[in-house]
Amino acid sequence: MPFLARILTTLALGSLMMTAYAHAADPTPKITVGTQEVGLSVGYLLPHRLTQNHTTKQQGVAFMPSWMMTLSDPVGDSWYRGQVSLGAEMVYIQFQEPFVSHGVGFTPKIKYTFVALDRIRPYAEFAGGPFWTDLAGKIPEESSRFNFVLTAGFGISYFLTDQAALNIGYRFHHISNAGTRYPNLGLNASLPFGGFSFYF
Amino acid sequence: MIGQIFSRPLIGSVLAMTLGLGTGCSHWIELTVPTDAAPPTGTTVATDARVPLLLETIRVTHNGSSIAPPAILERQVFGAFEATRLFSQHYQSGYTQPGADQARVTVRLSIDNLVEPHAGQAAWRGFVVGASMFSLAPFISLNYDYSTEMSLEMERWDGQIKQYTATSNGSAHYNLFGANPEVIEQLKGQVTEACLSSLLNQVIQDSSFYLASSEQPQGNPIRTVSVGVHHSSTHTIPVSQPIADSSPR
Repeated sequence: MPFLARILTTLALGSLMMTAYAHAADPTPKITVGTQEVGLSVGYLLPHRLTQNHTTKQQGVAFMPSWMMTLSDPVGDSWYRGQVSLGAEMVYIQFQEPFVSHGVGFTPKIKYTFVALDRIRPYAEFAGGPFWTDLAGKIPEESSRFNFVLTAGFGISYFLTDQAALNIGYRFHHISNAGTRYPNLGLNASLPFGGFSFYF
Repeated sequence: MIGQIFSRPLIGSVLAMTLGLGTGCSHWIELTVPTDAAPPTGTTVATDARVPLLLETIRVTHNGSSIAPPAILERQVFGAFEATRLFSQHYQSGYTQPGADQARVTVRLSIDNLVEPHAGQAAWRGFVVGASMFSLAPFISLNYDYSTEMSLEMERWDGQIKQYTATSNGSAHYNLFGANPEVIEQLKGQVTEACLSSLLNQVIQDSSFYLASSEQPQGNPIRTVSVGVHHSSTHTIPVSQPIADSSPR
């Protein structure tokens, strides 16, 4: 946990430094078709044991660098006014429990961002892709190291400038091997996260 | 022998990657103008017969909502009128004005833009591209449509008014990695220019209506100037550019 605390402190200090710049620039983001976004999110995986057969309390820090491409201008005239973006995300998880192990994955990701509130922009996202972890094989839920990860969640971006935003959000996180080996009960978790994005 | 075994997959991979990246980063723009659009017209007018032009208002709507005219659009319109050389001087409302007793032509322009970014289509196609781990990105194109309708009202110094209208539309097609704000700006710029050209071509056909009758002093030759639309052709213009070559022309 001290490591996570350091990361979050760094993010908080970074955001304070960026806020000073925010007041000098026009903060209204102008995100159009072709605008790219790179970002980094950090979160902590908290386990959900959905059945009695789930016993592992896997948890740990997750790092998620991402890249996205905006595919549409804002559409709609009401609260749902928003735009679609597509991209990819790397996810690295350092499991702290039940023992230290690692997981790394690559997930294409699609996101719908609500733009009606200007600088505060809620979004919903969905991602899925291959995931390798050495946690599997040592726990009763998963038998193979090659798995897939599926995540769905929501978040809020707060634009400090027209090109930089802080993000916080929540994802539901599922890991399983799509039935390629058994047992395959799957690992489920909540993943609250925070991070930042740059748009160009 | 070993070299040949390894070289074929290697060469194949390099070719596939080159092709994939090349097509995956591409974009192209198609402009369409009405088939009844008149061909570009040019004529010659007496220099001294020309009068000043006052660009009074530009009203712009974007998908039906009124917006403030972007400065770049104002410059584009103003520049298009200047390029015709049909008027002796060019003024814009809010800046230096022609003399109150001076004959002039007052212009009011209305621009209605329609944008269709095909967001739903982009979402579904984006989902398919993502589900394929981006391997289908070079083969699935995304579309962005833009059309503009311009209504031009030109009032002569004696109160006579003529009105002109023109429409133009175009589409930008791009692959995921070829999406770029520059592509959309190019599309908007080209559609606007094509529409302006069509509009001003109609004005040129009425050149004599905007000329003041002037008598040349005895003994002095009559100086003339060629007037016409000096913008790009209004025919359908397919443009295909790799993203690396997308710098403004």
